[in-house]
Amino acid sequence: MTTVNRISDVSGHYVNLEVEGLRYKVFYLESGQGQPLVCQHTAGCHNHQWRNLLEDQDITRNYRVIAYDLPRHGKSDPPSNIEWWKDEYRLTADHYVAFIMAFCDALELENPVFMGSSFGGNVALQLAWRYPERFKGVIPVEAADYSPGFYLDWWQHPHANAAQVCASGVWDLMAPQSPEQDRWATWFYYSQGSEAFKGDLYFYSVDHDLRGKLAQIDGHRCPVVMLSGDYDYLTPPAASKHTADQIPGATFIEMKEIGHFPMSENYARFAGYLKRALGEVDRRSALQPPPTHSAAREPGAPQSP
Amino acid sequence: MTSVSFTPALEEFRQLTNTDREIQANGKYYSCNFLLDMAEHKLLVRMHRGTVEDMIVDPDPLDDYDFAIRAGAETWAGFCEKIPPPMCHGIWSASFQRDMRLEGDLLVLMQNLRCLTRQIELLRVTGPLF
Repeated sequence: MTTVNRISDVSGHYVNLEVEGLRYKVFYLESGQGQPLVCQHTAGCHNHQWRNLLEDQDITRNYRVIAYDLPRHGKSDPPSNIEWWKDEYRLTADHYVAFIMAFCDALELENPVFMGSSFGGNVALQLAWRYPERFKGVIPVEAADYSPGFYLDWWQHPHANAAQVCASGVWDLMAPQSPEQDRWATWFYYSQGSEAFKGDLYFYSVDHDLRGKLAQIDGHRCPVVMLSGDYDYLTPPAASKHTADQIPGATFIEMKEIGHFPMSENYARFAGYLKRALGEVDRRSALQPPPTHSAAREPGAPQSP
Repeated sequence: MTSVSFTPALEEFRQLTNTDREIQANGKYYSCNFLLDMAEHKLLVRMHRGTVEDMIVDPDPLDDYDFAIRAGAETWAGFCEKIPPPMCHGIWSASFQRDMRLEGDLLVLMQNLRCLTRQIELLRVTGPLF
């Protein structure tokens, strides 16, 4: 818990990456030591959603928590080597995954656990499908194999206040029981991200589609522990459970009285579920031989036994 | 449909709106007309600069409005609980997961989304309007 007159243990850094020919200066926050735990924020938002996790000493005494801003979010600028303002931003699954792999490589992370919420949860599933050997496990939060319906023009309609439409449009994704201060902090973050939100949702609602592919994910080799809250109207628990049920070895945990932004809207409640999930990843990974770091398979290619 | 007079809850809805700090702080341009279709009864709300200018119960067929929010009685009953059950906690959640329908000029709804969202949540305080 942050107190007045105390400098937080959380530190911020930049790292320069090149991903599919695009150059990025990426900002990330980190805290703690031990097992790397890489955290992806939700669409149209930034890494402050993980503010309480970064200062949770129950976690940081054993985990090196790393929460980056995806390019075009927070303090990570759009690519520096193209005229990005002349194109419509649409995040693809390929580029998103390539970015995460480049980020993990740049920080020389060994066998990290990857956790993301919403479009971060969906990309966690993509990582387990494409690069199971590179992760100790993934924790997709508020995720599903397919999540259509949110790639909307309203997020950038020039006749409405896009900042307020984005922020109030996701207000209902949070549970009314969550602390008002934290819900409004999350609302505030969303008022800052309207230029990226719609393009992020191209991945979330259009390009991300693992229907029919979930059985290819080896949840024993790369443990998959899914968490979803009962107030999430985009990926309600039934959708995440339906996804987890199709992944061999995956686990699903329903979270009560919480919504789509659990780490940001009500960390105190989320923390208990997260610790269960991390414990489950530990338990399952202990049953497996050490990772071999073999080359990634092509997306969609069958997984070797 | 039975005719209904102005209920205490309707008057409370007006008072809560007109004195709500959030709406009054952010509602300088909150001016629009919308219909709450609550199954047994309908309520036409005319907002002007953050204040309820008029409310009409079961408006006549040619009374106009910018947009309508329609749902069944069970969904609205959830909205009117102090802590709404999942999917009855907002117009987006109820539209995606229940029987709520947003109709009419949705651009006006989006232009006023922040204050409208807050105003709808006042139903958690008033309880059922009818």
